[in-house]
Amino acid sequence: MKNRSLLRFGMAGLVLMAGAQSAWADVTVLGWPGGPEESALRAATDIYNAQESVTEQNKVDLIFFSRDGFFDKLQADLAAGTDAFDVNLLATYSIGRYAAYMDPISLSGEAESVFGDTVLSTMQFDGKQYGVPTDLSLHFMYYRTDLLQALMNDEAAKARYAEISEEYLGKAMEPKNPDDWTWEDFAANALYFTKAVNSESPTRYGTVLQMKNLLFNMMVFHSLPRAYGADWMDESGNITVDSEAYRTALQLFKVLLDAGATPKDSLSYEYAEANAAYASGQVAAMVQWNAAAAELTDAEKSPTVAAVTSTIAPPTGPEGRFTHIHGLGLGLNRNAPNREGAQMFLEWLSTRDAALAYAKAGGAPGLTAETAAAIADERADLVQLGDYASSYGFVMNGATAEKALSVYELQAKEFTGYWAGSQSLDEALAATKAGMAELLK
Amino acid sequence: MRRGRSLENSVLAAPVVLFLLLLLGFPTVLDIIYGFSDVTFETLRNPSFNGLDNFRTVIADDDFWHASWFSLKFGVLTALAECAIGLFLAVYLAPLIRQHPWLLAFLIAPMIVSPAMMGLMYRLVLHEFVGPLPHYLYTWMGDSPAFLSRENVFLTVFTIETLQWTPFALLLLYMAYEAIPLHVREAAAVDGVRPLKRFWYVELPQMLPTLGIAFFIRFIDGFRVFDNIFVLTGSGPGGSTMSLSIYIYEAFFKSGSIGKALAASILLFVTSFLILLLAGRLIRGRAE
Repeated sequence: MKNRSLLRFGMAGLVLMAGAQSAWADVTVLGWPGGPEESALRAATDIYNAQESVTEQNKVDLIFFSRDGFFDKLQADLAAGTDAFDVNLLATYSIGRYAAYMDPISLSGEAESVFGDTVLSTMQFDGKQYGVPTDLSLHFMYYRTDLLQALMNDEAAKARYAEISEEYLGKAMEPKNPDDWTWEDFAANALYFTKAVNSESPTRYGTVLQMKNLLFNMMVFHSLPRAYGADWMDESGNITVDSEAYRTALQLFKVLLDAGATPKDSLSYEYAEANAAYASGQVAAMVQWNAAAAELTDAEKSPTVAAVTSTIAPPTGPEGRFTHIHGLGLGLNRNAPNREGAQMFLEWLSTRDAALAYAKAGGAPGLTAETAAAIADERADLVQLGDYASSYGFVMNGATAEKALSVYELQAKEFTGYWAGSQSLDEALAATKAGMAELLK
Repeated sequence: MRRGRSLENSVLAAPVVLFLLLLLGFPTVLDIIYGFSDVTFETLRNPSFNGLDNFRTVIADDDFWHASWFSLKFGVLTALAECAIGLFLAVYLAPLIRQHPWLLAFLIAPMIVSPAMMGLMYRLVLHEFVGPLPHYLYTWMGDSPAFLSRENVFLTVFTIETLQWTPFALLLLYMAYEAIPLHVREAAAVDGVRPLKRFWYVELPQMLPTLGIAFFIRFIDGFRVFDNIFVLTGSGPGGSTMSLSIYIYEAFFKSGSIGKALAASILLFVTSFLILLLAGRLIRGRAE
């Protein structure tokens, strides 16, 4: 009797397991957790799974790690040869790190017209496509329209502006429309709107710089040296970090920090701290990730500045206007148990319909002007995003290499050391050059 | 009978021993192998032996010595401060805690917070635009210092660590203080010894072993500091707040220099072991 009951329980368990197995999707996708990326991926996946052409064994299931240390955990998993997921997240700056554990993929025929070459290149390594770009990150300059308007209409203020710029930057400058700003104008404006420099300033600081020893802060910084022609390597693979472009950019940040034009604790600031500073109303302008636009222009989240904040591409320089871009995307795990199903999903994700569905659900794909126009009413920000990406986007030569993340880490350490005053500019650049030569050889 | 009990003990202890061997022994052996190998994330399964190369790299690395100095300084200073303040509070508040024992639970509350959360909390508390401390400093004094600048960051992380872990020293030292027999105090009082002298010549010597243990535990904890500093400042501008634990973490995960990271951790282990051995001998010598 007892044995029979056990047998029944066993049979029931097996039936349940079999049922669960059939309910489990056979393409497992590891996505970027939390935030709009997760909501957008969930929405797009629902649409994909609802298609009649997608068989039961090719339906997609999503899994997520926590964001903290995401890429370190992913590195450890991939290196261990995991087959727990078929498709995983990757980012432009980590493609080289993960390429050894992933396989190139093929995209739909529409991909080029949907994303454009620049955006597709954010998911390429060694000339091969390793992922579908899902979200694009670049930089906007956020500035206070009310402050600039008041400055432009005040002759006495303009004279003071010229005095300050002459004293700190070596030449008398006059306020300009932000559309026409060079990085020198950015610096002059930052100095003018700083209480420590100009006691009449309506704000405590002219800008807020993210100078924490953190790789992402280097990405924000890079839009400046690039405008002066900086690159990591030349065509022959020689490290070119010890250049006039990098020197000018590093010195400009140092001038602003030493003059008190950015908060005193800027050496510990990153994304969140900079947003909080700007949202307080005590900062006149800053360069920040595009993701901050949703927060800083929302009257509920940033009541002090939302109505008077405008965004534009970062300032220009002698070599033009640039913004660092990188993408998040999804690629194929080399040990994927269901390679065919995974490839099908990735191909679908690169179609126009999928990209638009992803965008409508809150994602931020870098779309060409033609594609973005289709949802311009709902997501006007994506028009600007796509426009800036194709017009000003750049990726440093070597920034998708296997050790690209380590290069960012190295630069963060050495450059912040210079800004903090613990080493000279020459020492910082020499150490960076030596380290980069080792990492990118 | 004795034999049967011995067998029983072995059988009962076997799962724990096996578990510990698997959980601690395997990673330790793997760490030692990797420490002497040229290994990356791509070659985890087939590392190539490279002798002492990783150790030479670590020893030649200025950052390793900076990180070691930071950890040593941080460990010693925080342990000293925590024990000194803990001792003062234990003695000063003893009559109050005796009357209201629940006060002790209140005083040790900071220990309950995880160090990473503590770092996160101070990231907010010290932020110029959202933190209460800079807000009131601006309101009352018109200015607020840069708590996390290169000049002030050590003092800031030192203060945060001390505030969180002084209660640990307080707890141990209060217990030791209360364990001093009443008749010893009474005898000293009858002999007319004043409170300060009584503390110095009668009570403190009896608390010394506990004080030594508190210092030692706090030093170990301070020396291996990671969470709160990592959350608060990372490795700091130019690596100014890079502790040895942060150095090992960054070498392993950020630079992918697995061999170098593990060589540093082996050096750390050997040094700690030697210090422990020395401390053990000193304590035994005193006891004899």
